[in-house]
Amino acid sequence: MDSNKIEALLQKYWEAETSQEEEQQLREWFRNHQAPEPWKETAAMFRYFDDTKKKSLDDASFNATVVSNLPTAEAGRIRKLVYNTLRIAAGVSVLCLATWFVHTEMQESADPEVVDTYSDPKLAFEETKKALLLISQSFGKAEKQARKINMFNEAQEEIKKEKPSQEQKL
Amino acid sequence: MSGRLAFEFQYMNLESFQNRVLPAKNKLFRFALRFLGSEEDAKDVVQEVFIRVWNGREQMTEIQNWEAWCMRITRNLSLDRVRSNHRRQTRPMEETFDVRQEALTPHESTEISESMHRISQIIEALPEKQRQIIHLRDVEGYSYNEICEILELDMNQVKVNLFRARTTVREKLTKMNAYGL
Repeated sequence: MDSNKIEALLQKYWEAETSQEEEQQLREWFRNHQAPEPWKETAAMFRYFDDTKKKSLDDASFNATVVSNLPTAEAGRIRKLVYNTLRIAAGVSVLCLATWFVHTEMQESADPEVVDTYSDPKLAFEETKKALLLISQSFGKAEKQARKINMFNEAQEEIKKEKPSQEQKL
Repeated sequence: MSGRLAFEFQYMNLESFQNRVLPAKNKLFRFALRFLGSEEDAKDVVQEVFIRVWNGREQMTEIQNWEAWCMRITRNLSLDRVRSNHRRQTRPMEETFDVRQEALTPHESTEISESMHRISQIIEALPEKQRQIIHLRDVEGYSYNEICEILELDMNQVKVNLFRARTTVREKLTKMNAYGL
């Protein structure tokens, strides 16, 4: 390839319009030819790119380290199994907790009569009798008090009746 | 990705991993080194990339270009490491150039070595994105499409950044040539 073509390719290169193949041609040319004075720095740049590409890792020892650090298929399977088990356990726990909360809530809001039901009918009858007796006793007391209030009301009415007749006499 | 390659990744065992994926290690290493400046850090990043690739090998059938994918992971892990190390940006690489050749005199070798050092400084001084693009194109020889995939940029951004990077390098090389700077 003559230097005119290289010059044209270089122009395209600086304008970022070269294809990968054209850039490869430039690299090859500078690798294999003594660059003229004006292209000395450009030649050094292509040499810099080549030199940077030579940097590499130590093949054998690096590969061995990578392979020894890879998680084995068995470990991967175990990890997957543990992960899935934990997921299921978490799901079940949430479900149990939710059920417990709902159950507690229902118990608290339930009618106390329903909760305090006796299973033995005789015992239930006795307890009912006891409760009714208690109510009737309370009714008795209330009646006594009500009678007193009634007496007071009647006395008040009597006073009201007598008051206008005294005023007429005066 | 060819059907055969997709099949190999679907049932990837250690042997196919060693034959197909591990050979990309030097490209990944050089790319990580570009960010980190330290060979030890770059080596750690490459190891981490391979562990991630191995763990995600079942998804590799869905990936069009697995090498570009590895390069992208390398870039992301390197940037994470740069951030976690609280480094300002990237550390300039301490490069040594072996330019000894039979055809060159010791004086010529020294001259070329000095020029390469100056070029290294010019490239290190480029903005981050331009530096990454010039590395991927001029050192590794990736296509524009591959660079777009690795850096997650569109074609226009890649071309504009490459143009700017080369223009800056050219201007500085011209100064070097004219004034010996």
